[in-house]
Amino acid sequence: MLQFISHYTEQYSYLDSIRIALQGGCRWIQLRMKDASNDEVRPIAIEALQMCKNVGATFIIDDRVELVKEIGADGVHLGKNDMPINEARKVLGESFIIGGTANTFEDVKAHYEASANYIGCGPFRFTTTKKNLSPVLGLDGYRNIINQMRDADIHLPIIAIGGITAEDIPAIIQTGINGIALSSTILRAANPIEEMKRIINITKP
Amino acid sequence: MDIKLNNKKTSIASCTLQELAQEMSLPEKGIAVAINNQMIPRTEWINTPITEGADIVIIKAACGG
Repeated sequence: MLQFISHYTEQYSYLDSIRIALQGGCRWIQLRMKDASNDEVRPIAIEALQMCKNVGATFIIDDRVELVKEIGADGVHLGKNDMPINEARKVLGESFIIGGTANTFEDVKAHYEASANYIGCGPFRFTTTKKNLSPVLGLDGYRNIINQMRDADIHLPIIAIGGITAEDIPAIIQTGINGIALSSTILRAANPIEEMKRIINITKP
Repeated sequence: MDIKLNNKKTSIASCTLQELAQEMSLPEKGIAVAINNQMIPRTEWINTPITEGADIVIIKAACGG
């Protein structure tokens, strides 16, 4: 599974980046506009949602629980400093996907108990996209968390996030991780649509 | 047949993703499904066969599963 986290560069807007991801075959989009206001995000989110609907892609928004509910996105991704998952569940009810960021097995367990539907687990390695201070996990970190989840009978989809490049993907998938979240690596490629296609192919077993 | 569902070995009767959705009473909304790491849009479920040992991941909002 590949989740594309929207991004912008001098060359591409947020919507451009989503269009590229969809054209490259990605069917899971997260709109992430961390420093924007809801009023700035709303029109972009509505257009992105429509683009996703046209091809049957899943569309979630980073944070902004109320906006997710208002426009009818598929769900929300909540980072460590966003609204707690159990509060978001109260607002959204049972028909929205809620994903949570985890850095440790304890985070995973807490998110599971708070009714999260998937886990974004990272960072895999140091990243400049997200200025967080959580320790990097690497392959061993993922193996440990997957084993602990298995032992605790927690069967929640888990995707790897944070500083991942195409070359890292086979080894990450080998650890038992279900998918990958990618952002800047796609737009940095000379041909981002082809890069997305290439990466989706890499995730195939 | 036996498949892996959200990393757990599971026995199912369905032969397509559409049938599995019915078997599991999957909701209309708030759901994403991948087979062997490839996300499958709902419109393609009916034409998507499930084979022995498939690695299926279902992200869904409703509890359980």
